Amino acid sequence: MSGTSDVDTSPITLLEAVRNQGKEWDVIAPRYGVTNPDPPWKTSLIGMNECLAVGGSLPALDRRRAEDELGKVVYSDVPAPERELLALVHTMLRRGLVTEAELAGRMRTVRSRLEAI
Amino acid sequence: MSKGHTHDHNGDDHGHEHPAAPMVEEITDYEILEIAVRELAIERGLFTAEDHRSFTEWAESLGPINGSRLVAKAWTDPAFKARVLADGVKACKEIGLDWTEPTGFGTPSDYTNFVVLEDTPKLHHVIVCTLCSCYPRPILGMSPEWYRTTNYRRRLVRWPREVLAEFGLILPPEVEVRIEDSNQKCRFMVLPIRPDGTKNWTEEQLAAIVTRDCMIGVALPRPGRTADVHPIHKARRPVESSHHGRAAE
Repeated sequence: MSGTSDVDTSPITLLEAVRNQGKEWDVIAPRYGVTNPDPPWKTSLIGMNECLAVGGSLPALDRRRAEDELGKVVYSDVPAPERELLALVHTMLRRGLVTEAELAGRMRTVRSRLEAI
Repeated sequence: MSKGHTHDHNGDDHGHEHPAAPMVEEITDYEILEIAVRELAIERGLFTAEDHRSFTEWAESLGPINGSRLVAKAWTDPAFKARVLADGVKACKEIGLDWTEPTGFGTPSDYTNFVVLEDTPKLHHVIVCTLCSCYPRPILGMSPEWYRTTNYRRRLVRWPREVLAEFGLILPPEVEVRIEDSNQKCRFMVLPIRPDGTKNWTEEQLAAIVTRDCMIGVALPRPGRTADVHPIHKARRPVESSHHGRAAE
């Protein structure tokens, strides 16, 4: 169901692993009694979207088109903030702005940093 | 951080004790992913950490209160209303809102023009972005999720009265419904009709009933309604289903 779009909607292994954990905000927030409707990284994501557009590496309209297409085809069962994040990273990976290997490595580094005592 | 700590940091009790607000005490891969891709983007020179902080701070400062104040002031000051309708960007400066923030020329996805659409007894406006999700963020804050759905974007322009009815807004046939399609260069907001029962109200009282949905055009202001609550009533005769996926948005 890719239509005439030029968005590459083939799944990305790293992002599939993230989405398959079932850790969306609307699932985990109630578990801890948190009522804030948005995850803490939501505004940071908005800031990143704007920065990428300002710098010209990912124009806002391209990002939104890709988000629409990926939201329909790949991430249709993911709720909004996580879907936006996955779609953005998916688009950045497909455009070669970052690579899957370096992103996987950086995720490991970030996790160990955040979990350091 | 443990649950229910009493704000007694390092044994230095600074005069108040209360339980900490609950927080999610695990780090999800979504959080990790957002940080990781942002760090790589900064290292690649796609943007700077300072730019990111600035845009994030801006995003966190937004909300519909400026729109509510603008409408309330326009209701009580005819000269201001005339200025709002003539030049929305310029009039916003009178309520302390500068559309050129945070960069001096707005954001890539918000600026450059802002038009306020005045409702009349014979004309009702609704805003949409059929192309993507353009929205007057500097004055209304972030768009609600339903505004971004293809359901709203596609159907509103084809079946406006039906879609408005789904929000509980049923307009008489003699009222023309006009849909204004936003775009990357021009943003819109609705100036609704001041409702009956608000005579002698202060601007503050009026602003409280001008909710986000009223300025999108999917609701009408009325005394006593101060929040965009979309109540979900339990079905009286629910349909049994074996589908276990998420509900469609």
